[in-house]
Amino acid sequence: MARAKKRVGYGLPVILAVGLHVGVLAITLLRWPASDPEPTSSAIVKATLVRSETATDKAQRAQQAGASAAEASKPQEAEPTQQQAEQAAARAEAEKQRQAAEAARQEKAAAEKQHAAELQALNQAREQAQEAARRRAEEARQAARQKAEAEKQRQAEEAARKKAEAEKQRQAEEAARQRAEAEKQRQAEEAARKKAEAEKQRQAEEAARQKAEAEKKQRQAEEAARKKAEAQAKRAAEAARQASEQALAQSIAGEEQAIANARQAREAANGFKNLVKQAVEQAWIIPSSAGDQQRAVVRITLLPTGELVDASIRESSGNAAFDRSVLQAVERAAPFREMQSLPTAAQRQFREFNLDFNPEDVR
Amino acid sequence: MNDSLSIPHLILNASLVVQLVMLLLIVGSVASWAVIFQRGFVLRRARKAHRAFEDRFWSGVDLNELYRVTPAEQDVEGAEHLFRAGFREFNRLLPKTRSSQAILDGVQRAMRVAWSREEERLNQHLTFLATVASASPYIGLFGTVWGIMGSFMGLSMAQQATLSTVAPWIAEALIATAMGLFAAIPAVIFYNRLSALSSRLLGQYEDFAEEFHSILHRNLQGRDERDAA
Repeated sequence: MARAKKRVGYGLPVILAVGLHVGVLAITLLRWPASDPEPTSSAIVKATLVRSETATDKAQRAQQAGASAAEASKPQEAEPTQQQAEQAAARAEAEKQRQAAEAARQEKAAAEKQHAAELQALNQAREQAQEAARRRAEEARQAARQKAEAEKQRQAEEAARKKAEAEKQRQAEEAARQRAEAEKQRQAEEAARKKAEAEKQRQAEEAARQKAEAEKKQRQAEEAARKKAEAQAKRAAEAARQASEQALAQSIAGEEQAIANARQAREAANGFKNLVKQAVEQAWIIPSSAGDQQRAVVRITLLPTGELVDASIRESSGNAAFDRSVLQAVERAAPFREMQSLPTAAQRQFREFNLDFNPEDVR
Repeated sequence: MNDSLSIPHLILNASLVVQLVMLLLIVGSVASWAVIFQRGFVLRRARKAHRAFEDRFWSGVDLNELYRVTPAEQDVEGAEHLFRAGFREFNRLLPKTRSSQAILDGVQRAMRVAWSREEERLNQHLTFLATVASASPYIGLFGTVWGIMGSFMGLSMAQQATLSTVAPWIAEALIATAMGLFAAIPAVIFYNRLSALSSRLLGQYEDFAEEFHSILHRNLQGRDERDAA
């Protein structure tokens, strides 16, 4: 019976509770950085996406440009490329020789080393291991050197290629510039020619015009003399005739205007009537008892401002509910503000007017 | 933006009242978990002890022997405590009175006292859990309301009220409610569980007391007959 065990203190539970909370806190702390990068990274991705698009575009364009330049320049300018090829060949030759020498040297060194290693292998296994390690390192270094040389060569070729491209481009530009200059010159000549032609034409026209003018002047002088005599005689008769004609024309014009006004007013009035009818029909709740044959005529009295003074049934449909619904619709649709924009003549006409309603029009 | 909305950042940037509320809730949560662990240990141990004692009691051992090997009064728990209290009372009363009814009454009283002590021991601090469970959501809600109040007061000063100006404040205010629920939910669950465990144990103690009482009663019946004979 372990009696001490029976008392459960609060030490361990408190430690456990605190540990639990620290754990929960740690989880929240760990979770947040883990879930944080996702949105930020997505934002970065968005940004870099745009950038990468343009970058790839540029790269593609550069590649395409380079390829097209190379293609374009290959047949045109064989000379520099040939020269460069020769140079490159010479360089490659030298390189090859050097590499051969290098290889020979390497072989020799390897042989020597192998020899030494064999000797040492006879002596001690440990030293041999060291030696082998050193040799491996040496080989690695040599390989690295070879790689570096290859890299250098590749870079040199790259540079040569680039130079050739640049040259080609420059020449292409030169050609383009020359072509542009030739074009310009040609245009200038064309312009000069045109100007000369225009000048010639203008002079010819000028001469013709002058001649014509001189003739006209002479004719006019004769004409003027004749006219003066005629005009004096005519003017007296003309004055009398004009007076009578003007009076007639004025009266005609006035009549026409009056007709036009009336027509305008009629149109406006028709429009207004239609507007009122539409407004009322929209506000009209047709009772279900109404048949299609029923028809009610309503007399509407309006103020000049368009407000409704009175609406009454002029001709009943015979259905009281129908009549009432029409009157209610008129009351709902009032006031008709369009009245204010009517000409005064039409306003007077519409102080009182009749509208007839037929469910068929609405349905 | 995301960085400023992490939970620790929001807690550190909250207003003083909200921070106090959060601190209170953290303390309440830690304390309630301490109580949960402690009660859990106590109840598990009590259940084990009860099972062991019942095995021993019903193994046919002599009651005097059992009484002798059980430890002193202060150290015993559960059904053992009941047994000890009842048996001691029985032994004390036996030479003093001839009435078996008086003896049995005394034993029953002693065991009832012991049982209520056990009840107190088992239910100790469980009311604290109940308090945390019922109060901490309100405390957290208070923190949230206070924080949102502050955010709207700040909003009235601001020229442009966009969602992004209100959102961090409301988020930090809502953390208080979250913490209140964080404290309350385990407290509710474990209060129910622990009180169910303790009431089951107490029921078992009661059963044991009845059984023990019946055993003593049987013994006394035998003695009465002997006396009569």
